[in-house]
Amino acid sequence: MTIFRANATESEESSGATEPAADGPGDAAEPSGADGADGPGGPAADASDLDAEDLVLGYPTAPEPVIDGESIAAEPGAVTALVGPNGSGKSTLLKGLANQISPEDGSVLLDGRDVHSMDTKALAKRLGLLSQESTSPDSITVEDLVYHGRYPHRGFFERTTAEDARAVERAIDLAGCGHLRDREVGSLSGGQKQLAWIAMVLAQDTDVLLLDEPTTFLDLHHQMEVTEIIETLRDESEVTVVVVLHDIEQAARLADRVVALADGEVRARGPPEEVVTEELLSEVFRVDADVVATDRGPRVTPIRARHEE
Amino acid sequence: MSDGEARTDGGSVADGEGRTVGGGSSGRPVEGNRLGWLFEPRLATVVAGSLALVAVAGLVQVSYGAYSMTVGQAWRAVLDPAVLLDPRWLLNFLLGEGLMRTVTGFQGELPELARETLVVWTIRLPRVLVAVVVGANLAVSGAIFQAVTRNELASPFILGVSSGAGLMILLTLVVFGGLTAFLPLIAALGGSVAFLVVYAIAWKNGTSPVRLVLAGVIVGTVFNSLQTGLFFFANDIGVVQSAIQWTTGSLTGTDWEQVRMALPWTLAAVALSLAGSRQLNLLLLGERTAKSLGMSIEKVRFALSGVAVLAAAASIAVAGIVSFVGLIVPHVVRNLVGSDYKRVVVGCLFVGPALMVGADVGARLGMSVLTGADAQVPVGIVTGLVGGPYFLYLMRRRQNMGDL
Repeated sequence: MTIFRANATESEESSGATEPAADGPGDAAEPSGADGADGPGGPAADASDLDAEDLVLGYPTAPEPVIDGESIAAEPGAVTALVGPNGSGKSTLLKGLANQISPEDGSVLLDGRDVHSMDTKALAKRLGLLSQESTSPDSITVEDLVYHGRYPHRGFFERTTAEDARAVERAIDLAGCGHLRDREVGSLSGGQKQLAWIAMVLAQDTDVLLLDEPTTFLDLHHQMEVTEIIETLRDESEVTVVVVLHDIEQAARLADRVVALADGEVRARGPPEEVVTEELLSEVFRVDADVVATDRGPRVTPIRARHEE
Repeated sequence: MSDGEARTDGGSVADGEGRTVGGGSSGRPVEGNRLGWLFEPRLATVVAGSLALVAVAGLVQVSYGAYSMTVGQAWRAVLDPAVLLDPRWLLNFLLGEGLMRTVTGFQGELPELARETLVVWTIRLPRVLVAVVVGANLAVSGAIFQAVTRNELASPFILGVSSGAGLMILLTLVVFGGLTAFLPLIAALGGSVAFLVVYAIAWKNGTSPVRLVLAGVIVGTVFNSLQTGLFFFANDIGVVQSAIQWTTGSLTGTDWEQVRMALPWTLAAVALSLAGSRQLNLLLLGERTAKSLGMSIEKVRFALSGVAVLAAAASIAVAGIVSFVGLIVPHVVRNLVGSDYKRVVVGCLFVGPALMVGADVGARLGMSVLTGADAQVPVGIVTGLVGGPYFLYLMRRRQNMGDL
C-alpha cells in the first residue's frame, strides 16, 4: 500500500474506520510500485493497525516505569492525537510504539505482529517516526536529507531507483518544500527545517506515521503548514497517524480520536468533542477553561491555572 | 549543494498551497551516471590539487639525499621504462622477489638498472609510497571515527588504538626483545585489542558515542601510564630512541616490504569505507533518526569502527603512531567538499597522502636544511607541528567546534 492514492478524496472520518485490519499481516507491507492505481473499496479498508497492549515503558535510569500497563489502539487510516501535560508520558509512549525503547512488559502489534520481533528495516518500511529535535549536518541539502528517508527500502549496495525518486518527489510535494530542495539544511529556519524533516519521514512511505510534537516551537504559518500536511494524510491517504500535540485545540481540529494522558495513564479517549471538555482540562491539564463547540471543533479558552495545595 | 548539474532539473516544484497527493514523478534521475558525484567540481579540484602536491613533494623526496641528482634525473629515473615496462621488476617491488618468481616463472637474474633508477626505485620511492598509504589510511580512519562518535575532534586513535599499540611497542622493545622482528604486527594487534577493550567497557545494553569516547579516555590513560612507566626499564638509549620513533610515527628506513605489508589491508579498508559511506551519512543524522529509519545501529557502528581500526592498524604497522593526520585531514576535506561522506572519504584518500608526503619531506630533509646536520626527525613531529597551528586557525575562525 502506498501512502498516496490519487483518487482517494472522500474523508474517512465517518465510515468504517473502526474496521479492524485483520486481513493478515504482510500483504500490506510491500509498497505497490504503481502509483495512481485505484485503491480497492473504501478508504481505510487496508490501512494498518497499531495496537499497544498492557504496555509498560520506562528508562533504565529511573526506578519507576513512565507508562505502567496502558493499552492504546491507533485507528487504522485515521489520525490519533496524544495530548497531556509535560511529563505525562506522551513522548515515551510514542517511542514505545515506534520500538525505540523496548517495553518492560506488554507488546506493540502492527497488524498483529509484534514490532519488537520484526527486522528493523522491515519495520522501518511500515512505520515511520519523526522525533523531536532532529539533528543533521548543516551542509546537507534538503533533497539529500529527504533521500535518507528511502534508507529502509534500499539494500546495502543498492542505488536509488525510480521508485525512490518518485517517493521523494511525492514527499517533497506533499510537505510543500519544493522551493527548498537545493538549500542547505543549516541555512533554513526552524519551520522550514521541520518541513524538510517531515518530507524525509514521508519519503519513507510507511503505513503508520508517528509524529512527536511536530508543531512545537514553530511560528503560526509553519504550524499551519504542518497541520495541513497531517490533514492531507488524514483525508486523502490510508496512513495511520499518531501525533503528539501540545495545543489541545489543534489536536481537536486535526484528530479523529484524541487520547489524553496524565502521569503515564490514559485519562480519556474518544472523538475530540467527547474528550476535550472543561472537566478534562481541569483534571488533566489543571486549568480552568471555557470550551465552546463550534463548526471547527471545540474552542478552548484557558482562564486560569489551578493551584491545588 | 547538489551533486553536480545532473540533479537540479527541478521536478515538480510545488509551493505551499495546492498540496496534492501523488505529485510529480521526475526529479533526481536514477543515477544513470553512477559515478557522477565524483566529478563534482569541488571534489575534482581537491583531488587534482592533492595529486599535484603528492607529485611535487614526491619528486623532491626522490631527488635529494646522500646520492644527489637533479630533478630532471630523478624524474627520468621514476619514469625509467626499464622498470615501468618490465613486469618482472614491478612485481619484484610490489609482491617481493619470491612471489615474483612464482608468478612469472622467471628464474634468471633481473636486468641491470641505471644507478639513478636503482637509488630512486629501491630506496626513495618506496618511502613516498608508504607515506601515501599511511596518509590515506589515517585520513579515512579519522573520517569514520568522526562520524561514528559524531565528534569532529575524534581521531583514529580516540578509541584506545594508539595507547594499545604504544604499550605493546614498549613491551616488545623493553621486555620481550626477542620479538622485535614482529613489532609491526604486535603494534597493530595491540591497537586492535585496545579498541575491543574500549568497546567492552562502553557496552551496557548497547553503547553511545559519549560512552565510547569516555571509555577510550579511560583505557588511554591507563595504557599511557604503563607505557611511560616502561621507559624506566629501558637499559640503553637506542631502545628509547627506537621506542620514540615508533610512538611518534616515522617513515625512516621504510622499504617495499612496508608497502607490501600495508597495501592489502589498505585496499580492503578503503573499499569497505566507500561501501559504508551511506551508513556514515545516516549516522550523522543522529542515533534516533538512524534507528527509526531501520538501521541496526550497534552492528553498523561496530562494523564501521572495525574498518577504521583496520586502517589505523595498517598504518601503525608500517609507520608507528603518526598523530594529527587523521584528525585534520577529514576537517580540511569536509570544509572543502561538504559533509556527504561519499565525497569526504574520496577526498580523504587524496588529501591524506598529500599531507603525509609533504610532511615527510620536512621530516627527512628539514634538519639538513635548517641545521646542516644529516639527521631525520620522526614524521609525526612534523605532522604535529603543522596540525597544531591549523587547529588553532580553525578554532579562531569557527564558533562551534565539537559537534559534527
